[in-house]
Amino acid sequence: MNNTHPDILALITTLKMAGLTTIILMLIGTPLAWYLAKMQSRAKVFIEALVALPLVLPPTVLGFYLLLVFSPQYLPGQLWQQATGQQLAFSFSAIVIGSVLYSLPFVVQPLQKAFEQLGDDLLEAAAMLGASAFDRFFTIVLPITKASFITAASLGFAHTVGEFGVVLMIGGNIPGETRVLSIALFDHVEAFDYAQAHIISISLVISSLVLLSLIYLLNRPSINKSLKSKRLSRG
Amino acid sequence: MAELITALDLNFTVQHDEFSLSINEKISLSGITGIYGHSGSGKSTLLKVIAGLEKQAQGKVSLNNDELLNSETNIFVAAQERNIGLVFQNSRLFPHLSVEENLRYGQKRNKNGVLQFSEIVELTQLENLLDKPVTQLSGGEQQRVALARAILAEPRLLLLDEPLSALDDKNKIVLLALLEKVKKTLNLPMLYVSHSLNEIQQLADKLLVISAGKVSHHGDIHEVIHQLTTNNEILHQTSLSLTVKEHLPEYGLTSLVLGEQQIFIACDHEPNTEKQVRCIIAAGDISITLHEPIESSIVNHLQGVITVLGKIGPPDGSKAQMLITVNCSGQDFFVTITTWSAKRLSLTLGQKLFIQFKANAVRSLR
Amino acid sequence: MSLLLGRIFSSLIFIGLLFCSLTVVEAKNHVSPEENTVILNETPLRIAVASNFAPTLKKLLARYNPNQIKFPDPLIIPASSGTLFLQIKHGAAFDLFLSADRERPELLTEANLALIGSQQTYAYGQLALWSATHEIATDPFTALKNNKQRLAIANPRIAPYGKAAKQVLESLALWNSYKTRFIQGINIGQTFQQTRSQAVNLGIVSNSQLILNNLKGVIIPASLHQPIEQQLLILKRSQHIQQAQRFVKFLMSEESQQFITDSGYTTLNEVNSELKTDE
Repeated sequence: MNNTHPDILALITTLKMAGLTTIILMLIGTPLAWYLAKMQSRAKVFIEALVALPLVLPPTVLGFYLLLVFSPQYLPGQLWQQATGQQLAFSFSAIVIGSVLYSLPFVVQPLQKAFEQLGDDLLEAAAMLGASAFDRFFTIVLPITKASFITAASLGFAHTVGEFGVVLMIGGNIPGETRVLSIALFDHVEAFDYAQAHIISISLVISSLVLLSLIYLLNRPSINKSLKSKRLSRG
Repeated sequence: MAELITALDLNFTVQHDEFSLSINEKISLSGITGIYGHSGSGKSTLLKVIAGLEKQAQGKVSLNNDELLNSETNIFVAAQERNIGLVFQNSRLFPHLSVEENLRYGQKRNKNGVLQFSEIVELTQLENLLDKPVTQLSGGEQQRVALARAILAEPRLLLLDEPLSALDDKNKIVLLALLEKVKKTLNLPMLYVSHSLNEIQQLADKLLVISAGKVSHHGDIHEVIHQLTTNNEILHQTSLSLTVKEHLPEYGLTSLVLGEQQIFIACDHEPNTEKQVRCIIAAGDISITLHEPIESSIVNHLQGVITVLGKIGPPDGSKAQMLITVNCSGQDFFVTITTWSAKRLSLTLGQKLFIQFKANAVRSLR
Repeated sequence: MSLLLGRIFSSLIFIGLLFCSLTVVEAKNHVSPEENTVILNETPLRIAVASNFAPTLKKLLARYNPNQIKFPDPLIIPASSGTLFLQIKHGAAFDLFLSADRERPELLTEANLALIGSQQTYAYGQLALWSATHEIATDPFTALKNNKQRLAIANPRIAPYGKAAKQVLESLALWNSYKTRFIQGINIGQTFQQTRSQAVNLGIVSNSQLILNNLKGVIIPASLHQPIEQQLLILKRSQHIQQAQRFVKFLMSEESQQFITDSGYTTLNEVNSELKTDE
């Protein structure tokens, strides 16, 4: 660790954080999106608003409350300490949890939309052919909504890489743990090291553009059709 | 198939907003039972309850004493566990799978494994379509695949919810013929829901009529048609099944046995190999004559006795028409004539007379 | 419906007329600046100040009373020194810049953006060791040595108080043992906030923050680090040079300097005297 260039270390930390966050979000976001897509009750509106909250709140607000809640003053911070022996605030786990909350709508909303579009028809037919709920999910839902899963994961990942406000509040700028690219960039600017700042910034812009282009390319209708016919001709 | 299903016990209610369905009926299943009703009568909901897709049903449903639903003891068997097939109005084929993969979907999940894949493919004439992408099939082809797919899951009961409604006439005929073939070849009880009485008459042996959320008629198809006729609920008609006596291909006729009498019908181009023929005769196509019409071009004349003199007409009390029931050799025939004619002929109950109808007036379904 | 529209329309006209009358009154009030005349249309003095000094500055302003001419109250723009520096460099219309360090005012002077001769030290930062979770030893070295957990400091690379904190640790030969245990804030303000959250047990903060919040910490002797010179300058392009100079004079007055010291900063004399005692 001592020999790694600090910005490369920041890159690795960023990738680890974004990667882990994305995995967690796909695991909890999928059932949440499914539940929202199928739910009829009035509570649905409230839960949707809750999920969408990180879209409109300033990240510093989220960071502010998380710092409070993660500190040993409050229950969550205390519970974590009891369970793991480590402090939650200013740790890698803290920024992962923060990122999960912050990027939640970016994963849940595309999935929810895809599930709603799918509707119930095909699932009822599959049930009548003997497929259980899990079976239906893996053999019908997943293959048909594949593109949305990829979109959700990519958006969640990209959004987390760009996160600054939340990590700033709850990170503590610890190299290898919470010093991510956006923080490193900020440091360089503050320290007048503009050359280094440019390198990081341009890399982030280019990689984001590439990722977003891929997402939009994947979601174009003509691409979807050709993918489908390729699959079918396998028989 | 698995053990022979003989009975479906229904005793439940479903309540949605303004709609309610209340059924207390025991349906014995052999062959095809038709379920007829107007839109909104509840027939599709009935199928959904049997299939396990309707979560709000309260009461009891059991198939051959196998409890599928029991609200008192909190039993609800999930749809995928019921081993009941359902062919929907829209084919609901899986777009990401080929035709063959669609067909195998149910087969893979079935524990019995008695049916042969190739047999069913042959039966439904899908050999050439196996590799085609599902989105390239016509409506009729899609429904054929849907039917084959449901059959290959080897259900113990097959439900069909208006499977032909979305098809054009040509495809309807094709699918009807296919369903008949299926009925004859496989020992698979079916419940066939439709708002088209015509379809049901071609396929079903029993008929259940649903009206405003309740069962109004249930029984042998001919009996129910006759009940509906006398209640003025459908177009007045006579519905019956008769055995073939002989074919007269040179005249394009087939004669059917009716007690000591016979009925001539127009026959198909191919000599009919069926022994039993189902016939429908519209009441307006039959006329009454007091004396045997020997010298008439009308081929069919039967001797019979008037058993019912019914009046039909508008609610204002004026009765321009009458529905006469004439029993010939034990078979009821329905005849509509003008009240004026009835008066002219001085028709009375118990009167012996003759009824007449052309061979072409008999619509034969088999 | 038309009644409502009518009401809306007349309200708009009323507001419009009110607005016009005010501007007329203002215009009328624009007389040549004489003593005792109210000058309402002059824009206020804009003071860009480093966040850590902002609370003290606000209190000083309350005592600022040029007894001859009334001015609209100066505007305080608090932000990090770095942000303010960049803004000034790119043309921000401030009149006075109170930085938390010496470096940025120097760079601005080099860039010819400062009024010549205006760059000067207005306060010296004072470090303190503080914990929100437990009592700490009265000797900073002991307190720092005994702490086996993390330490909050401002980022030495970008914050002047952080740089000084690093110097302190190096002086005490504790830097190496702490190298992997830092929680770094982007400025001393964040460091104080982090220490206060109790998520880290010990922090090197500014004494002014402790005093402002009625807290008590252990003051770190100035001899352990380079003086944290907080310098100010008047911007050359300011439209209110006279006003600015008046204010700087007030700030550098004995009274004000005493107030600043009492607020948790230290003076040049104290810094020098501590250095002398060490010799």
